Amino acid sequence: MVSIELKYSIRMLLKKPLFTVLTMLIVAIGLGLTIYSFSLLNSLVFKPLYLNNDKEIVAIEGQFDQNHLFRTPIDPYHLNLAANQLGIFEKHGYYTEGTTFIGGSDSKHPALFYAQKMNSAYISWNMFDIASVKPFIGRAFQQSDYVDGAEPVVILSYNAWATYFDSDSSVIGNQLSLDAIPGRIVGVMPEGFSFPDSAQIWQPLNENQINPTQASYTGLFAFAQLKDGISIKQAQIALDGINKEIASTLEEDFSWRIRGNGDYLLVMPYKQASIKQYYNIFIALFVVVFLILLLACINVSNLLLARVNERIKEVAIRVALGIPRKKLIIQMLWESVFICAIGGGLALLFAAYGIEITNNMFDQTFAVNNQKPFWWTLAIDNTAIGILITSVVAMILVTGLVPAIKAMNNDFNAVIKDGTRGALGKKAAQTGKILVISEIVLSCVVLVMATILLSTGYFASKADYGVKTENRLTAQLQVSPDKYPIRRNTEDQYQDTLKRALVYTNIKASVENMPNFTAAAIMSQLPGTGEGTSYFEIEGRAAAVYNENPYSNNEIVVGRSWDALGMKLLQGRHFDHRDIEEGVYNLMINESIARDFFPDGDAVGQRIRRVGRDGASNTWNTIVGVVSDTYHGSTMRSSSASYNSYHPHDNIGPMRMYIAVHYTGNEADAINALKQAVADIDPAVGVYHVQSYENLIEQPMKLLLSVSKIFLFCGVVALVLAASGIYAMAANNILQRTQEIGIRRAIGAPDRKIMSMFIKQASMHLTIGLALGIVLAVALISYMSNSLIINPESYGIALVGIPGLIILMVLIATYVPTKSVLKLEPSDALHYD
Amino acid sequence: MQQQQNDTLVTLESLEKVFYTDDVETHALSNINITITKGEYISISGPSGCGKSTLLSILGLLDTPTGGTYKLSSHDVTSLDKDQRAHIRNGKIGFIFQAFNLISDLTVAENVELPLSYRTDISKSERQQMVKDALTQVDMQHRANHFPAQLSGGQQQRVAVARAIAGKPDILLADEPTGNLDSKNANAVMELLDKLHANGATICMVTHDPRSASRADRIIEIFDGKVVADRASESTNAIAV
Repeated sequence: MVSIELKYSIRMLLKKPLFTVLTMLIVAIGLGLTIYSFSLLNSLVFKPLYLNNDKEIVAIEGQFDQNHLFRTPIDPYHLNLAANQLGIFEKHGYYTEGTTFIGGSDSKHPALFYAQKMNSAYISWNMFDIASVKPFIGRAFQQSDYVDGAEPVVILSYNAWATYFDSDSSVIGNQLSLDAIPGRIVGVMPEGFSFPDSAQIWQPLNENQINPTQASYTGLFAFAQLKDGISIKQAQIALDGINKEIASTLEEDFSWRIRGNGDYLLVMPYKQASIKQYYNIFIALFVVVFLILLLACINVSNLLLARVNERIKEVAIRVALGIPRKKLIIQMLWESVFICAIGGGLALLFAAYGIEITNNMFDQTFAVNNQKPFWWTLAIDNTAIGILITSVVAMILVTGLVPAIKAMNNDFNAVIKDGTRGALGKKAAQTGKILVISEIVLSCVVLVMATILLSTGYFASKADYGVKTENRLTAQLQVSPDKYPIRRNTEDQYQDTLKRALVYTNIKASVENMPNFTAAAIMSQLPGTGEGTSYFEIEGRAAAVYNENPYSNNEIVVGRSWDALGMKLLQGRHFDHRDIEEGVYNLMINESIARDFFPDGDAVGQRIRRVGRDGASNTWNTIVGVVSDTYHGSTMRSSSASYNSYHPHDNIGPMRMYIAVHYTGNEADAINALKQAVADIDPAVGVYHVQSYENLIEQPMKLLLSVSKIFLFCGVVALVLAASGIYAMAANNILQRTQEIGIRRAIGAPDRKIMSMFIKQASMHLTIGLALGIVLAVALISYMSNSLIINPESYGIALVGIPGLIILMVLIATYVPTKSVLKLEPSDALHYD
Repeated sequence: MQQQQNDTLVTLESLEKVFYTDDVETHALSNINITITKGEYISISGPSGCGKSTLLSILGLLDTPTGGTYKLSSHDVTSLDKDQRAHIRNGKIGFIFQAFNLISDLTVAENVELPLSYRTDISKSERQQMVKDALTQVDMQHRANHFPAQLSGGQQQRVAVARAIAGKPDILLADEPTGNLDSKNANAVMELLDKLHANGATICMVTHDPRSASRADRIIEIFDGKVVADRASESTNAIAV
């Protein structure tokens, strides 16, 4: 009996191949996207990080700094205190990340003749123990490595060992230059290990940093394993208590540790901490994909429902012949089983392909800085397969059982007596309306969100940052703090600062002397990047409360850097020798600050200083010049700024700076010339992240742009599903009303009146659907936009363009089938079966 | 003779209807010549598939002939466009269907009002009065606010009759009006048609029920798409064709 039903189902599916293929594709796309997104979000956000242990690793850090989009480190003194008092942690450890140059011209490894930049993790000695991962060769850190005066030691990642040391096991014990300081290789970690996220080498933190005896300025990130039975929520409740205690005892110097709402030590899933600024966007993506799955379900249900309506007479005859209804339902269910099972198989293929593309996309995104977190390698795991199977079963039930039961509940006597009259009752018409409105709502939400994200990304990449980016190369420069130390709070501090600053001054001159370059700019962050602002007070115009003062971005600049970027001096003078004198603090501001706060053109000579929650700086800075406007940070980041102040580097002596060079000739020659020019000044100065200016500007947005591409794909899928779904649904509803159209025409309704009636009904569906869809979309966007500036054009395109597109789709979906029914003679329409 | 010409409502001359399905050509109607005068009560009968419903569809301008001429009130309506045909259907023809064909989402009054709502020459108050009159004629005014599903089959057909007569059409076309009714309700509907005829309505009814057919003044019999008999009912002598 089962085999007969199977054969019959297969025959019915083969009888309408277009329907069968279309339905399977909708299932495959909807489920494929769901599995893909689940795998993406699970890998990046939701799946707890376990490493080799069966205990989840959690992160403990301060509140995310929305102004600068920074994660906030904590003072280990306070976490150690909390750990001792609360006893909620099984183990905890610390880390901070940085950049270390290894090797140099005296290296015995040829691949390290030029010093290579490594992502370095400075860690507490117990990190490998907590991770339950031992070095592949050599040893882990031990407590003796952490004491003052211990020989600097380093553990290499497998990749670094393979790439720069030719997988030579005898490197253990060898010396290696670490930022121009001799160190010793003590171990190599197994392949794939790069905890905390993208470490290429590990170096030990100092004992004083890990176990301070009193509150300090030290800022480290922490990771921990909670004790059995303690959830993250419970741990946070316990930490909230400690936070209050810390707040009440904290000396004024460290009061900045506690946020306005009392937040300080926060415990959260490790992965979530690393993508704090994108968390809402990922959640939004999840919502969008869920909505697409719903769209797919509605479409498949509708297609099967339409099919049931087509077969209503056949079913009625079967029932009349005495076939048990249960058997008929099972027979109808078989079709859903076939469609959903084959669709599910295709979905797996689609998802696997999407994951491969995304992995490549991530590799490209992090190609310049090598900072791809180790868990950002997607795969379809058993949970995803489980979800696929569950979804297929659920889809079979939703898309098969519902229409089947609906078909069974018809008045078969009426159907047999009058071919069409029983086919579409008031309930069916109502269901049709709800389905069309649901399609409109869902497609509106998905398409509006996808459009806003995409267009925001597009406009940000095309935004005018106030600088010229053509034929400009950028790179990061780093001097060794050990070779150029600044002995702070000593009488040598000023000279040390000048000495380090001179390296950058000389590099700028060296580059500009090369025939490949017309000019060079060296800044702490180049325009288009380096978001983050702080408040400033104009002398004599202090606001009553610090945060009522204006705020600006601050950058450190080497001399006359404007020329290389196409910026102009508008008032005053360039930085020169007068700004180097000890105790002199001058700065330049941009045109926007001058225009808005010194409208009389008297900015030069005025004094400003930084202010914050903890009071004003003691140092007044005198404005010596005004330069043309630039925009620091991506236009799509909430932390970006159009007010900018520039400080001379001479009395700051930064360790890292960005260089931008305007080159002539080809880019490859320019890159070599840049490296040579820097090496001519000091071969130990690191030059890394060399890339075009355009690429640099895109860099902070790359992840977002990658997510936008996923949204684009979702948008296209949603558009196809929505267009086909709305059309199928509207066409089906109209087709079901063919007889009614025949009646109306028989009693003299002109065709235009009938068309206008359907258009009016469609307009009502549109009004309800779009109103709900826009409200939902705006709510989701506002949730998403905590760390994202959505430009007005994007709102315009999404909130006008998308509803316009949907209106067009619905009107076409109404006009075409109505027109087609109106082409029938009224007598044919009356007897339509 | 002049008087008879003035009273002529419908003239069909050499009317033909051919259906084409793939390569098959089916002659549903061939060489139909019929004249209907005002006030006549005609029954068209014949076996299933003989073409009587097709003929009624053409008479009602629901379908177009493939040959011949159709004149309604002396005007050639054979090849009018869709809107002109809709206009004539609305003003001059009233339909009564076997399956009632009421719109389930509309109340009884709204169903009756529907054809009137497509007219531009009637005010709303006139329309409401016409609906009331029509429902009174079929004795359904007390059910004006009910939906079709709340009525019996006989009541639904009476509403359908009210809808057909509300606009005071020149001719009422009824396609098996009792086909979906039990004998009691069928009789009531036929009595209603008799009453309308007695009041001057021109009725053309398709039926294969001899009892219903015998109520007409004139019976036209069709077989294989051709008129095989056109005779007066009962006392009237048959007219050989």
